[in-house]
Amino acid sequence: MEFSCVNGIKRPVRLSEATRKFAYESLGHKYGLMTKETMSVSLDEIEGFESFTPIKKYDAAIMKIASEAPVRICDGELISGAATLGTAISHQIPATYNGKPVFMSLSHLTADFETVVFKGVNYIRANACSSYEKYKGTDKEEFAKSCLNCLDAFDIWHKRYLEALKEKGCTDNYNNLCNVPYKPAASFYEAVQSIWFVFAFMRLCGNWPGIGRIDKFLAPFYKSDVEKGVLTEERAREILAHFFIKGCEWICGGNYGSGDAQHYQNLVISGINEDGEDITNPVTYLILDIIEELGISDFPTTVRLNKNSPDKLLYRVAEVMRLGGGVLAVYDEENVIKAMTEYGYDLCEARRFANDGCWEVQVPGKTNFCYIPTDFLQILQKNTLKSYDNSVAFDSFDALYNAYLDDVKAFCEGLLSSVLQNNMLKCEDGVWAWRKNIPCTVISLFEQDCVGRGLSYLEGGAVYNVISPHVGGLADTVNSLYAIKKLVFDDKKIGFADLMRVLSENWENDEALRQYALNKYEYYGNDNDEADMICRRFLSDFADICDSLNGRSGYIFPGGVSTFGRQLEWSPHRLACASGRKQGEILAANASPTPGTDRQGATALIRSYCKNELHKLPVGAALDIRLLPSCTKGDEGLDALVSLLRGFVNLGGFFMQPDVADAEILKAAQENPKDYQNLSVRVSGWNARFVTLNKEWQDMVIQQNECGCGY
Amino acid sequence: MHDGPGVRTTVFLKGCPLRCLWCHNPEMQSAGKELLYSSKKCIGCQACVTCKNGVHTFKGLEHDIDRAKCIRCGECEKNCPTGATQICGREMTIAGIIKEIKKDEAFYGGQGGVTLSGGEPFLQKNAVKLLKACKEQGINTAVETCGYYDVTEAVPYVDLFLWDLKDTNEKRHKKYTGVSNKRILENLYKADEAGAKIRLRCILVNGVNTNKEHYKKVSDTVKSLKNCSGVDVLPYHAYGGAKAELLGLSDNGDKTLIPTEEQIKQFKEYINKSR
Repeated sequence: MEFSCVNGIKRPVRLSEATRKFAYESLGHKYGLMTKETMSVSLDEIEGFESFTPIKKYDAAIMKIASEAPVRICDGELISGAATLGTAISHQIPATYNGKPVFMSLSHLTADFETVVFKGVNYIRANACSSYEKYKGTDKEEFAKSCLNCLDAFDIWHKRYLEALKEKGCTDNYNNLCNVPYKPAASFYEAVQSIWFVFAFMRLCGNWPGIGRIDKFLAPFYKSDVEKGVLTEERAREILAHFFIKGCEWICGGNYGSGDAQHYQNLVISGINEDGEDITNPVTYLILDIIEELGISDFPTTVRLNKNSPDKLLYRVAEVMRLGGGVLAVYDEENVIKAMTEYGYDLCEARRFANDGCWEVQVPGKTNFCYIPTDFLQILQKNTLKSYDNSVAFDSFDALYNAYLDDVKAFCEGLLSSVLQNNMLKCEDGVWAWRKNIPCTVISLFEQDCVGRGLSYLEGGAVYNVISPHVGGLADTVNSLYAIKKLVFDDKKIGFADLMRVLSENWENDEALRQYALNKYEYYGNDNDEADMICRRFLSDFADICDSLNGRSGYIFPGGVSTFGRQLEWSPHRLACASGRKQGEILAANASPTPGTDRQGATALIRSYCKNELHKLPVGAALDIRLLPSCTKGDEGLDALVSLLRGFVNLGGFFMQPDVADAEILKAAQENPKDYQNLSVRVSGWNARFVTLNKEWQDMVIQQNECGCGY
Repeated sequence: MHDGPGVRTTVFLKGCPLRCLWCHNPEMQSAGKELLYSSKKCIGCQACVTCKNGVHTFKGLEHDIDRAKCIRCGECEKNCPTGATQICGREMTIAGIIKEIKKDEAFYGGQGGVTLSGGEPFLQKNAVKLLKACKEQGINTAVETCGYYDVTEAVPYVDLFLWDLKDTNEKRHKKYTGVSNKRILENLYKADEAGAKIRLRCILVNGVNTNKEHYKKVSDTVKSLKNCSGVDVLPYHAYGGAKAELLGLSDNGDKTLIPTEEQIKQFKEYINKSR
């Protein structure tokens, strides 16, 4: 029973045989396939369903799901609760009417598990009751009632599990589920079960929430139980491992385009708390142990690093990272917190940051978040350069740059405008009010301050409402601008109009110049100030544009940088680039360089990335790095990897997702997928089992920046 | 990330007194600049024909190079769009080198720093000066050396010597590297006496030094040194051969020189006994 590793390094064995078996079977699709046996519950029998209001339909769906979804208790499981309806795996609420799911579900959010663990669901119910009393007779009554209805549904589901556990004779699990999640947890075991049970219910209802700072929540329980002598390190590890393994209940194999391990079950570990104290604790290391042993990639885990992060943490992170699989990523938390506070977040709030289940930074438990990725290269090519029409002329680089910036500003204004139109209405008195949106009470219950305000999560209930425009194709855009600057204005190799003509012909008629553009310039990612400063200037100007559009409504509009693999769908629409690329080539991912242009190694790449004023982009900019396994081998390799992580923090990074993988191994996995079933790779903010990616995605991952360090 | 501990910046100094059969940096043997040309990269654009010395001529797409006429001015490299012609080597000041090294300061931590390599770094008379300047800037230093030159003067400025011990049989050493190993061994012990920290680098070449006498002598050498942390075994590889082509020589990579797994294992067993 081997848990595969891309480097052939043997994973350690610390967990019990039974737990390892449970993991192995879960990774082997056992529970995923079971989940697909019952796809959803049917609402057809409900009288008068068609005439219900949306919220009433929603409440009926949640009640049906809670009452009828199969109860699953896995042999030997330490924690209980399961999201057993298959339709949830494809991001929909698993309740159908006339054969079709009625509602979409939500993701890209991290729920308020802190309240669940420390105050319990009873606290939430008490608030819901008083809100109902307060809003009875107003237009908020229906939502307030929905909160109570969904809590009733949750109670039914909880009781069904208690009954089933009793029947099966699972006394420990039964006892452990009696008080939680209703009362505050009183032990480590209860705390883990409490988080899991609410998480499982949200997923059962179709949603994909992230979990957030789990080691922070569990720390006081671990400490107290160990001091009392009722918990050992080994036992704690087993319990946590079961949490991870239960999270594999949706793994079914198959082919999914962008891969299967993408339900955004993100964890954020280590880092400082509201008071600025480092929370790294034994639970942090237990999580790393589990990832190291089982290689479960379904919980992408990001480590919050700062200049004082202990060596012990960095070395453990590096040890686990070099096993590959792309499970671990890192934040430079100082820079993230700086970005959030400069943007206007309160310092304590900023220090609490986690992410949305993917990597975009947000304050957990109280943020309604969405982002809008756009191909910024196409704005340059189609708007500013008018698809290389011969009418375009600029007599200086600054003239071109400023024209591009104007187009970016116009685009962002249009974007904000259309998002607002979709989600809000302007009232007669000029105030923005929220439009009605799809019901999502199950989420609203666990996101502040929906219950208190009597407003749904999507209708102004959340404390922070964020729409983040994301720059896609950053490196490609910067490199195009840089190439034009050099070719036309600095080196005067060709006139502007002639270059436009050459590009409109897709480089067919000037191979020598194309080679020149490809080979003679050092583009973004090589620590060449000339190119890097264009990137820095652009991101700064973009951040300023986003700032200027703030405050026009209930939304805030912070910028970010990402592609998330969309460069695949954008590529057919892209024209030739001045940097020497032809039409339709798939180009840069996230904040990483255009593949093939980064020739100076990992440290130069990080240096280039850190030159940007990343603290002006509170949502973040992701840097992907792929290292060869040979670079991270042995003690020397470990030291080197730790040095890269420290350098990233010292220089002021934001988010970095290294992966250790060999393109040769990935190509072998393409040829023989059945030998590489559990080989996991970082994709673009999530990871996935490589063989579940379709060929296009696989090719893109293989092509992504590979840093062979030292030849 | 292989030339010493941590993240390192490697500075290659041109010129070497040895001519090893297995050299994988042939472009580093000469102390001066070299013209490198790759026919694979040439697209026949003829931008190099501006050469004032007539080095580059074309018959259709066929690119002919007259190396004897080349004065290494770098004009063709400037104009070549694909990098098919390049000049290997440039002059730098110590200050300029230090500036490059310091770019990665954020990554060095306690262990990383600079490694001098080449060629043979100590062939250059300013190598010691460079090392001294690095230490003055607080940079950790490592040197890869063949040991042909007396390094006593350098010892105070070097944190780690990566010292080649290519062959322990004197006659064979002369046959395959062009020089005897006598003075190399003398320098090794001198450096050791002076307190140098040393790691031995032992290339393993099938049919040349793949024999037990050599393994034993290496093991004995490690034991007899005061400050030697061990041996890095470097199995011969044929990749350097392709680089020879860039110099206008034929690819001299020879796969028969590659040692077997068994030979590598045997050598390592001898070395482990010396710990």
